[in-house]
Amino acid sequence: MMPDMARFVYNSLIVILVFNTAISLYGILARPSLVKKLIALTIFSDSLNSFAILVGYRLCKGFEQPVPPIVTRIPPTQEHISKLIATAVDPLPQALVLTAIVISLAVLAFLAALTLRIYYVSGTTDARSLALMRARAAVEGE
Amino acid sequence: MSAYRALILVSMVVFALALSYALTYGILRLEVPLTLRDLAKLYISTTFNPLKRELSAMTPEGVTAIVWDYRGTDTFFEIVVFYGAIIGSVALLGAVYRYPPGPGLSLIAKTVTRIVATMILVVGAAIALHGHLTPGGGFQGGATLAVSITIALVTFSLGALMLRGLTYGGMVALRSLGLIGIVLTVFMVVIASLTAGITAYVFQNQPKPGVPIGMAYSVDGIVFSGTVWFLNVLDAIAVAAGFALLFIVLIGGGVEGERE
Repeated sequence: MMPDMARFVYNSLIVILVFNTAISLYGILARPSLVKKLIALTIFSDSLNSFAILVGYRLCKGFEQPVPPIVTRIPPTQEHISKLIATAVDPLPQALVLTAIVISLAVLAFLAALTLRIYYVSGTTDARSLALMRARAAVEGE
Repeated sequence: MSAYRALILVSMVVFALALSYALTYGILRLEVPLTLRDLAKLYISTTFNPLKRELSAMTPEGVTAIVWDYRGTDTFFEIVVFYGAIIGSVALLGAVYRYPPGPGLSLIAKTVTRIVATMILVVGAAIALHGHLTPGGGFQGGATLAVSITIALVTFSLGALMLRGLTYGGMVALRSLGLIGIVLTVFMVVIASLTAGITAYVFQNQPKPGVPIGMAYSVDGIVFSGTVWFLNVLDAIAVAAGFALLFIVLIGGGVEGERE
């Protein structure tokens, strides 16, 4: 790949992911529906995870495409390992993103159960209606 | 209300423009790197290296080596968080004991699901069993297995699958079995070292400097990377059962059921 092309694609990806993050933040903050907030939350975490993967990306000498961090010859020689170091991507961001995906999935599962419970109790997942119901209950309680 | 939304909209646009400028041309500028970081060089040079036997994780797949060997404790507590969330969901929605079988979807959907769900089961098992050699691992394999269970839950209805053994209690037992297996695997080398009269590390896989005891990494030339293979398989079982439990509770929880 040409160096300028590689930089253009890399910068475009950064801009796309930042805009994705902004859109999902808007969804979390401004949409009244709890389900849409959940969807926006998944887009938010996926954008940030993709960003972490992008930080771990590298290009080889001469802007060539890299390879996955997997030893393909068993047993490997020292030469093979040196070649892998020269061409493989960073495995650490991928491992950390795997952890982050599991954690965000756990949070998502819990929030989905919570939203479902709210729906069973109150019959709505609209944050405005829920606030209104709470205010009414407080007035009736006095 | 609309002023509040407009404020959020404007602040998000400013946030996106400012952060993209900072990351591409500004002070936080990210360049596409042409060399690896030193830490990544360390990981790749020791992930499967018989020449550095005492430092190597002996796992050909670099990411799985980090997940289950270098940063094993991190992954262990990630699993704790995952099961904590599932236990929280079950506590919110209530256990599902027995459920009447529903009609399910049409015969076409059921026949297609029989074929597709079986194929997904095979793919998920392959991802989990080859986690130390190819991209993937215990969590990915378990999530794929859970996809097949979820498709079957939607197509055949929860009650019909409960009659065939996909029960709440069964999934809790399977999940607990996977977790107990993971804990036993974590302490396997420690228990072996106590009989040999030395002390090993928790989560130890291969022999380390000062602790010349560890799991074998291959049998007859077939690489299985010591504890990594066991942890992958047990994690796949636990994750698949955890997801199945979650979907059983999401579909059938909160509805009055009959106690067993």
